[in-house]
Amino acid sequence: MKGWWIVGALCAPLWVAAEASACGTCAVGDPTLTIVGMEQPRANRVRTSATVRHRNDRIGEPQVDELRLSEQRMELAGAYSPTDRVTFSLMMPLVHRLVTAVNLAEADIWAPGDLELRIRGVIWRDREFAPRHLVGLIGGLEFPTSSVETDTEGVPLPLEFQAGTGSWDPIAGASYTMFADPWSVYVSSVGIFPTKGTADTRVGISFRQTAMGQFQPWKFLAFQLGAELRIDRPGYVGGVRDPNTGGHITYGTVGIVGLPHAKVLIHATAAIPMIQRLDGSHEEGFAFTAGLIYDI
Amino acid sequence: MTSRLLATAALLCALLLPHCVRVTDGIEVDVAYQPEATPAQIQTDMGYRVRLSQAMLALGQVELRRCDNFVLDLWRLVAPGRARAHEFETPTSLGVPVVIDLVESAGTPMYAGTLRPPPGTYCGIRVVGMPADQDAEGLSDETMEMMERSVLVSGALEDGDGLETAFRAELRQILDVETPFDRPLVLGRPGLEHVAIEIDHRRWFDGIDLALLRKSESAVQHRIIENIRSSFRAVLSAEEDWL
Repeated sequence: MKGWWIVGALCAPLWVAAEASACGTCAVGDPTLTIVGMEQPRANRVRTSATVRHRNDRIGEPQVDELRLSEQRMELAGAYSPTDRVTFSLMMPLVHRLVTAVNLAEADIWAPGDLELRIRGVIWRDREFAPRHLVGLIGGLEFPTSSVETDTEGVPLPLEFQAGTGSWDPIAGASYTMFADPWSVYVSSVGIFPTKGTADTRVGISFRQTAMGQFQPWKFLAFQLGAELRIDRPGYVGGVRDPNTGGHITYGTVGIVGLPHAKVLIHATAAIPMIQRLDGSHEEGFAFTAGLIYDI
Repeated sequence: MTSRLLATAALLCALLLPHCVRVTDGIEVDVAYQPEATPAQIQTDMGYRVRLSQAMLALGQVELRRCDNFVLDLWRLVAPGRARAHEFETPTSLGVPVVIDLVESAGTPMYAGTLRPPPGTYCGIRVVGMPADQDAEGLSDETMEMMERSVLVSGALEDGDGLETAFRAELRQILDVETPFDRPLVLGRPGLEHVAIEIDHRRWFDGIDLALLRKSESAVQHRIIENIRSSFRAVLSAEEDWL
């Protein structure tokens, strides 16, 4: 039954795309294929997307207190630009988490995650039409929309078992985009500042740096290569530091973006951990992202 | 317009998605202390009778011991060392302090807790006796002395002529006991197993005679502590025999 949600959500943009009548990328004067969050704002531009993400995580000491996490997220998002300089985006995830303990006990969780609102404003561009350089500021907020999962006695389960942090998390950052057909570059620095959340948990402040280059040899296909750095401050549970939180990790990413229809983009990205300096016993694994974007 | 409505509807659907959690138990091992019932009079292997005044144990930790595994041991030898805090509660160890008063024992088992170990083959149990803390189960006005001791035994040894000689043995340090299972405990799939830690205090005074009592108090104490160590036995119990 849950599988149909994913299939349905992934197909929804295609269904909507049946009414497509104009080219989304053409309207901004640049043929670069961009996924949601990296696009050029244009007044009244509306984009929707469905994205599936998969990742693995291992927390704790093997044979002692290790938890293995396999997570799949399906994110439905919409982005709207009321002017040529501002884009609002809203993203709602549905999270599936399979957490396996050392004694093979399992928790299988399906739950909505935390709704995320982002606002991106262009503060500088080299020219009005088809700009080659865009500098923007990013602001946002993660809402505690995820449900709090509890055990049979009503006590909230640890954060690893929750679909979201359950906290109000402000987001702030900046981005730079360069368009030089067939090349483009996207760089962003974003900080997430969590407040107290589920089960008296406070997730640490997280800084994320993305640098990605894209080469688009054909109008309908582009290749991406990049790196994603994440630096986390430690998290606290009930005022006590969680030893397996904090540190930094750098992923190498390779991706592909395709344009099967004038208004529909498909994309896929693989992220491989290159440098892991996470505190305590914490190891993140391969991550994969795939999705559909529809320019309305 | 229809497209925007559909997009909005999709987001609203996501917001209203129901949530569900399915939790399945993994491998669990219930552990209980199973002291013998105290008889009216304890008879030693040397023909003496023992009148017990005190026979108390303060136990603080139970740990499941893996069978020797050459590959695992080698890996631990070469793997980078990892600093670990003094841990009592892990998937293979329980840190539930308990005071057992064996003078009052009617042979009733005491539930110690449930271990949640990783898959593997386990060959025995390690029990650690240590002075009790204030939260120890079984701590009362009568057993308060166990806050400073792991073992306290006192009473009198009576020979065939009815002559009684008092004795007392106590241990203020850790009492470390390792006892093997009668057969390996193989844990491969989620399920519940039961381990009973039998304590036979009727054997605590074996090998003690009046000559030893008169010779050295410390020799008696040493003998009793050794007897206590060997009086523990770890038994894998079937579901129908459990508690």
